[in-house]
Amino acid sequence: MTQEIDLLLIEDNASDAELILRALKKNNLANQVLHVKDGNEALTFLMGQGKYEGTKNIPKVVLLDLKMPKVNGKETLMRIKDNNKIKNIPVVVLSSSREDSDINECYDLGANGYVVKSVESDEFEKTISNIGLYWLTLNEPPQ
Amino acid sequence: MIIANKELVFQHEEKEKRAAELIIANRELIYQNEEKEKRASELIIANNELVFQNEEKEKRAAELIIANKELIFQNREKEKRAAELIIANKELAFQNEEKGKRAAELTIANKELAFQNEEKGKRAAELTIANKELAFQNEEKGKRAAELMIANKELAFQNEEKGKRAAELTIANKELAFQNEEKEKRATELTIANKELKKAEDGIRQLNEELEQKVIQRTVQLESVNKELESFSYSVAHDLRTPLRAVHGYARILKEDHAPSLNPEANRVINNIQSYATKMGQLIDNLLSFSRLGRKELVKVNIPMHDMVVNLCNEIKSENINNTIHFKINDLQSVQGDSVAIKQVWLNLISNAVKYSKLNSKPVIEIGSGVKGDEIDYYIKDNGAGFDMRYASNLFGMFQRLHSDDEFEGTGIGLAIVHRIITKHGGRVWAEGKVNEGATFYFSLPKNASL
Repeated sequence: MTQEIDLLLIEDNASDAELILRALKKNNLANQVLHVKDGNEALTFLMGQGKYEGTKNIPKVVLLDLKMPKVNGKETLMRIKDNNKIKNIPVVVLSSSREDSDINECYDLGANGYVVKSVESDEFEKTISNIGLYWLTLNEPPQ
Repeated sequence: MIIANKELVFQHEEKEKRAAELIIANRELIYQNEEKEKRASELIIANNELVFQNEEKEKRAAELIIANKELIFQNREKEKRAAELIIANKELAFQNEEKGKRAAELTIANKELAFQNEEKGKRAAELTIANKELAFQNEEKGKRAAELMIANKELAFQNEEKGKRAAELTIANKELAFQNEEKEKRATELTIANKELKKAEDGIRQLNEELEQKVIQRTVQLESVNKELESFSYSVAHDLRTPLRAVHGYARILKEDHAPSLNPEANRVINNIQSYATKMGQLIDNLLSFSRLGRKELVKVNIPMHDMVVNLCNEIKSENINNTIHFKINDLQSVQGDSVAIKQVWLNLISNAVKYSKLNSKPVIEIGSGVKGDEIDYYIKDNGAGFDMRYASNLFGMFQRLHSDDEFEGTGIGLAIVHRIITKHGGRVWAEGKVNEGATFYFSLPKNASL
């Protein structure tokens, strides 16, 4: 794995992942994307451990689903933001929840953004495209 | 009287005796007088004899001297008898005097008798009066006796009554004694009951304490259940949304990637799949916002209702440029309530009124309020499609709709939200309507809700 990863997608749901990746692909943003299905794997990647040892593991943005098996979204977020080596990596939470409690909790844990996934695929695709374009092309990541 | 009568009889007898004695004395006097006259006549004869004898005197001179001597002697005798007569006369005078005295005495005695008779008459009259008096007194006594009899009867009756009353009193006393006993029994019972009550109270207090503990426990449980429900509802929302998004997304992929190879019918079906997925997404969103309402604490402030409604109507007008709705906003009472929630109420009600008025060429929506007792009633009246009052009770239920989506779009949650918010504020919601003649929705809020 020598390929540079600009975007880490942490999403356990296959259909959501497919729709997200399809939206990114449409905007030619999918080349440097890594999709993992749970928080543990994401952390292993970000820490350069296990099978990710030796890879460049500082993505420009992490898209994090909140509801996941094993280590859920919030715990994953907490672990990233608690770790000095990786805490500067921008994490954008993707969630179906519009609950105030969820939103505030995520910001308290250090989330850099919070986006609600729409049921309507047109709108969802547009949202993902905008996120990708913003974080991968407009935003200057920490060096 | 008897003594007086006897005295009278005695005095009569005495008087008769004296009268008899007087009669005898008178007869004696008469007899003596006759004797004197006889003697006088005898003296005349004697004188004649004397003359003869004088003649014879000479003759009988001797004889005369002797005869004179005889005469002197006889004179002496006569004198003696005269003296005796004087004495007898004196005696008679004395006796007469005595008779006069006795007559005077008799007169006096008669007067005395008359007086006594008078007195007796007086006394008889007095006695008559006294007798009358006595008779009157007897009558009075009789009357009094009768009265006394009546009084006695009365007394007897009263005695009987008293006796009866005494008997009654005795019974009453027995009754009282019985009641006292009963009271004492009851007092004892009450004491026991009080003790039991106290025990019960203690028990209740203990139960209350236990209950309070239970309430606290239940509250904690409820809070945790609420949290569970919260997490459940949003999990459900997530879990439902994700496959919906997939349905919608894959339909889109089908359309995007394979549209040329699909016939028009297949495309129509794909569009339907997408629109129903979208609709379901809205339902889920509404369900979530409804459940969010239940959990959210109300933050009560003073709400300037008129300004709030005017602003909302202006927003709605600017969003619906094509419609010709005329808003007639009357004076609206300000009220205390959760500003965000109440705004949602007005938004839902005004949106509904606009939505159900779309078929009317001249829609008019009137909004107003009125104070009724301790609450303020607000109303919003339209001249739109209205509804059948038979189904009025369904209006505020979750997912309850009186119109199909073909007529008027909707998820059936707007009025349920209105109902929930107003109920949470301690108010009421109701509606009146008639098919094709419009509807009026009302809600009331407490006038002096504590902030």
